[in-house]
Amino acid sequence: MLETGLILRALARNKIGALLIALQIALTMTIMVNAIFMIQDRQQQMQRDSGLDEANTFYLTNTVFGQDYNIQAHLQTDLHMIRNTPGVIDAIQINAVPLSSSGWSMALQHEPGEDKDAVGSAIYMVDEHAINSMGLELIAGINFTQEDIELRKDGQSTWPAKTIITKAFAENLYPDDWQSAVGKTVYISQTQPMQIIGIVKALQAPWNGWNGVERSMLVPFHRESKGSYYFIRTEEGRRDALMPIIEKALAESDKERIIRRVTTVEDTRKRSYRQHNATNKTLTTVVITLTLITGFGIVGLAIFSINRRTKQIGTRRALGATKRQIMSYFMMENFIISAIGNVIGCIGAVGLNMWLVSTFNLSPISFELITFGVVALFIVGQLAVLYPARKAAMIAPATATRTI
Amino acid sequence: MLVMKNINKIFQTADIQTHALRDFCLQVNEGDFVSVTGPSGSGKTTFLNIAGLLETYTDGEFLLDGEDVGKLNDNGRSRMRNQKIGFIFQGFNLIPDLNLYDNVDVPLRYRGFNAKERKRRIEENLERVGLASRMKHLPSQLSGGQQQRVAIARALATDPRFLLADEPTGNLDSEMAKGVLTLLEEINQQGTTIIMVTHDAELAQRAKRTIQVKDGRVSELEIVSPQMNQAIA
Repeated sequence: MLETGLILRALARNKIGALLIALQIALTMTIMVNAIFMIQDRQQQMQRDSGLDEANTFYLTNTVFGQDYNIQAHLQTDLHMIRNTPGVIDAIQINAVPLSSSGWSMALQHEPGEDKDAVGSAIYMVDEHAINSMGLELIAGINFTQEDIELRKDGQSTWPAKTIITKAFAENLYPDDWQSAVGKTVYISQTQPMQIIGIVKALQAPWNGWNGVERSMLVPFHRESKGSYYFIRTEEGRRDALMPIIEKALAESDKERIIRRVTTVEDTRKRSYRQHNATNKTLTTVVITLTLITGFGIVGLAIFSINRRTKQIGTRRALGATKRQIMSYFMMENFIISAIGNVIGCIGAVGLNMWLVSTFNLSPISFELITFGVVALFIVGQLAVLYPARKAAMIAPATATRTI
Repeated sequence: MLVMKNINKIFQTADIQTHALRDFCLQVNEGDFVSVTGPSGSGKTTFLNIAGLLETYTDGEFLLDGEDVGKLNDNGRSRMRNQKIGFIFQGFNLIPDLNLYDNVDVPLRYRGFNAKERKRRIEENLERVGLASRMKHLPSQLSGGQQQRVAIARALATDPRFLLADEPTGNLDSEMAKGVLTLLEEINQQGTTIIMVTHDAELAQRAKRTIQVKDGRVSELEIVSPQMNQAIA
């Protein structure tokens, strides 16, 4: 028969040790649940779809240093050469790369005027090959045509008349019906009209920590700039082989520019989330360490408690307790302490989460995660007390008659 | 009935072998009050531990109520201790964190009685030892004699056939010792068999039979207490 009532009353008269372990469990629960929550949050961020065909895309920087260099002519030559390289699906010039942490942003508004509300967005200057080159999915409207592409000089403040935006951006601009965005006129730079001609499923901004990371727009520009990116998409599995080939071809075709930083989008993603990964590893280490410390704390307290109660355990055995009943006693005692710790821990976890939510704009912790924390700590507690409980069960009943 | 035939108990460590009991033979009949005396190290406590199933023996034959104890496993011995044997220890061995009610409750829970039955037995036995009014007290709030009475109540609560007492008055002053001994005599008169280990000769004489243990053997048998003879006469 379980001795729950007796254990509770005995614990009530020996509060300190049990309370310390319960508080340790509570603290572990509070930190563990919130750390896992933060890990999950970062994990979800890292798993967001960039919209790109990441496995088959790479980019490089093209920096011109020659005087009287005909950028426009060289751009056409370069793109023609790259696009016609066997294994290349398509290529574009672009002003920024998603997830690269460096890019441009503008804002669109429904009505012209300085005092009108505007929604911020990343802006990518591309041509009609962008959707194919980046592996985007056009889910409404149409693509740019060659005639739409304008030449943009450095410092130019006017914008083309057309744009393609992401679905997330469309949902933000037209919450009731995102598809209705197609054909609508919006305003850039407060007063310049721009017609939305298409919507792509996804295309992330260069900044993964920005809360508008899913809002991006494409504008039909070729940049007449001395520094730009070429963004290239290859056939499945040919990217790594084509990267040095294209780099070499570009470098040899023109000695008045430097080709640098040939990088896959996958590497860019890794770099972009390096801090997330490091934080997650740190948090994981904290969770494991805390859990182990709690486990060892339980083992320590249980062994101390058993050593202190050796004669008492011998007496219980003498009074008829089986080894199993002695084990059950200590397992139940730990279960009760864990339950107290978990209740306090749940309150602490929710409290800390409320603070995190209000301070860092995180989403609230899930019930499932709290349940997971409770179950995990119960299991840790029971596993930790298993060895001391077995040790207690092995105490001989004859201990009861020993005078020392 | 308790029957021991040629019981040997050898404690073996890496270097030393100690023969604690040698061909120990004893029969205790139902209703007996046997005192076991002997000098320190004679084997009294080893005998009590084996008789109370607290310890196993090396060889020999031990029948308790007709059951061969040597054939019982650890669970079987625990069950038999709980059902047939009550213990009274020199140091009382009460659980300090539990009040008197809960202390008496401990063996009853191992027996599996329901709450109502446990309550009845606890109250009845605390009443029997004169401590019913103090059942919510902790052991530390009682005198030594009262604590030993609680231990007796705990031992009796399961209605044991045998009551084994290990120096039951060893930690008590003479007045308290008399009170405890009187209580044990009453319990014996009500039919419970008592085996009491003591090295107090005066105390031993209060038993119906006294046996002396020396060097692990029963050296004197069937010394019938003169007081008992008088009482019987």
